[in-house]
Amino acid sequence: MSSKITSIADVRRHFLNNKRPIYFISATNFNLLGIGDWVGNFRHINYIDCFDRRQRNVFVPREKFPRDFEGIEDINNYLLEHKEVIDFIQSRAQGDDAGIATFLMFDEHTEEVCEQLGLKIAFPPAALRSRMDNKIETVRIGNKAGVPSVPNVLAKVGSYQELLEVSRELGTDLVVQTAYGDSGHTTFFIASEEDYYKVAEEIEAEPEVKIMKRINCRGSAIEACATRSGTVVGPLMTELVGFKSLTPYKGGWCGNEMFAGAFSQTVRDKAREYTFKFGEALREEGYRGYFELDFLIDMDGGEVYLGELNPRVTGASSLTNVAAFAHSDIPLFLFHLLEFSELDFDLDIAEINERWSHPESIDSWSQLVIKHTEESVDLLTAAPASGVWRMEQDGRIAYDHYDSHPHAAENEHEAFFLRISGEGDFRYEGADLGILITRGRLMDDDFQLTERARAWIEGIRGEYAGQPLQDPVVEEVAVSHAIGGGNFKIL
Amino acid sequence: MLDFRTVREELPGPKWRSLFDYHWPAYEQWYLSEGERERPAYLACYNALRRHMPELMDTYRMLCELAGGGDLSARLLSLYRPPAYITGCSQAVLARPSSTVLARNYDYPPELCEGTILCSRWNRRRVIAMSDCLWGVLDGMNDAGLAVSLAFGGRKAVGDGFGAPIILRYLLETCDDVPQAAEVLARVPTHMAYNITVADRAGRYVTAMIAPDRRASIRRVPVATNHQKKIEWYAHALASETLIRERQLSILVDDESTGEARLVSALASPPLFRHDYGRGLGTIYTAVYRPTEGSAGFHWPGLNLELGFEDFPEERITVRYGARGLYTG
Repeated sequence: MSSKITSIADVRRHFLNNKRPIYFISATNFNLLGIGDWVGNFRHINYIDCFDRRQRNVFVPREKFPRDFEGIEDINNYLLEHKEVIDFIQSRAQGDDAGIATFLMFDEHTEEVCEQLGLKIAFPPAALRSRMDNKIETVRIGNKAGVPSVPNVLAKVGSYQELLEVSRELGTDLVVQTAYGDSGHTTFFIASEEDYYKVAEEIEAEPEVKIMKRINCRGSAIEACATRSGTVVGPLMTELVGFKSLTPYKGGWCGNEMFAGAFSQTVRDKAREYTFKFGEALREEGYRGYFELDFLIDMDGGEVYLGELNPRVTGASSLTNVAAFAHSDIPLFLFHLLEFSELDFDLDIAEINERWSHPESIDSWSQLVIKHTEESVDLLTAAPASGVWRMEQDGRIAYDHYDSHPHAAENEHEAFFLRISGEGDFRYEGADLGILITRGRLMDDDFQLTERARAWIEGIRGEYAGQPLQDPVVEEVAVSHAIGGGNFKIL
Repeated sequence: MLDFRTVREELPGPKWRSLFDYHWPAYEQWYLSEGERERPAYLACYNALRRHMPELMDTYRMLCELAGGGDLSARLLSLYRPPAYITGCSQAVLARPSSTVLARNYDYPPELCEGTILCSRWNRRRVIAMSDCLWGVLDGMNDAGLAVSLAFGGRKAVGDGFGAPIILRYLLETCDDVPQAAEVLARVPTHMAYNITVADRAGRYVTAMIAPDRRASIRRVPVATNHQKKIEWYAHALASETLIRERQLSILVDDESTGEARLVSALASPPLFRHDYGRGLGTIYTAVYRPTEGSAGFHWPGLNLELGFEDFPEERITVRYGARGLYTG
């Protein structure tokens, strides 16, 4: 048998037999739920134990202190410099080779620490990722690859007048984005001078911003992986954006739906074609591996526009990697691991893409990211456990059994819940409470939450209980935790 | 009230572990006093120790293991950038043709002193030392004939480096004589200003004024109290009477007729012996190291304890610190 990988069966066998430690190091294991079923010796190293020590392949250091983290990179660096984590990694190392590390986010410091610990990072360098993550850069790569963005101009803006001048051809109803930032935090809708002044400081601080014509659009997400055999493309998903019952952030991402008929066939085909082209363009830029593109689907003209690029695994990866196509072949993330392995491979990517685009390959899954949406701060005294929850006919929910994989939710009456904020944590505006993953859809054709979605949200929220903060010292700590760097977003 | 204990354990084991367990709650509180994030991460501690004091790594690993293998205890035990702390102290070397003596008063809040005199053989040298920060050293000597002692340097500068007690431990574990110790003191970074006096059995001695913000000044000076060259922190200098003590010690040491008995007797009286327990600057004990003979004496009013590498009985001494004096029992 040749050592060259030429089939999906080869890839599957290789990773099932894998002995070299492979880690996903992140705040939680949400993004790569279930990957351990495919990869031998796969471990999650997390800051938050969503499973209360019940999940064998999740390692969470016992000795932790409440901290104000500035972002997920900061959490990962904290973890990698923690003695229990280092001892754990070293106990599983083979000589100087401690294995492979994967992340949602990392920076140059993470790279230094990994080098010292003998961990090889299975991602392009942080500096390259950071350059690719720049929204302005995304537009340029898209233009080069023939993937259009919403009509826009890229410019430095110093005043409202300047904004109007540079964007004259776009009209007066504008959307301005800064180069970096989370959804809902750095996208500004400006239709008047008043709108502008609310966010002028943030816009004027930037060397260049992206100014777009405001269109009537739906958000969508698609994940892909750029490999040396070509770019593998997942299905187009809808995005849940800005629902007040889920997130306090206007325009903030709060979930996804994946189903065969998401958008028209024309739109889906267009998005897949663009994603493939973009993946090939990324490879020319030196980037390879997992990435996600947001497309804005113009509801009036049916155009498909490039929104933004996330050069990493994302919050949507949890769905991309659990669907039927992933299980009939391999999860998209395994192509990423393959690309970063030393294996020689030659796969027929066109054939895989063809298979994955068939409606019958795409079963229907949805997820809701439930945040605390009120301005209040309290201390949680009860939180729903991770596992499978069941909804009765009357809409009430109850815990059914423990499991760590979304597949354990067998039908639309069940949902897998991943608890993030737990007992003893502060609940503050924007805090991630948990993520609900279920089969079927949670939005209707008008992109509104369904009755079932609302019942799940209400049910899960009802399982949380908090204690008001009466001790002024505790309150001060809690408020500074919430207002300071503490309210990092898990995703 | 403070219990002094003499503990003999060649390699770190159950005795050290029980000392750790006893003192850990207080140290943990101290270590977290400015917030956990202010302290460096374990990897930074490990790297700093490995870079500057590689010979201590095996012992460090052993102690971390005995301490339960946790993150916070390992960070504290590295003594890399710990919270700032200050002490008083007077120390002097009496180098006479017949013998060398390093004597000192340790002035500090009694409730913050561990009171453990540890006799160990962690590496190839045997060491008798007054412990601080669980494996650090306030003063001590090794069987190669090197004695060391620390005094706070009376400056507010805090920076990137180690707590002085681990630097003293490093000296005793790796150096045989004063030239070797001087080389280490010039090289290893400290996080606060300290005056470290070292003496060896050949009669050599130096005092190193080390600080995080300037190069170490290492000179053949037999006496150190709580200032470095000129006074910078007047309030501390006044409260600790550092100049008076330095003058008194200098006169004593310069007088050729001063012998060990006279020096120890002076250390037991004002201005060297201090009763300022209310402000945390009272004298807790007097230590006398004779590196030539390999013996050490610890003194309190009315009570002396003589120890040697060959003769090191395990004992417990209770000392009561009151405004009017010390009581032993």
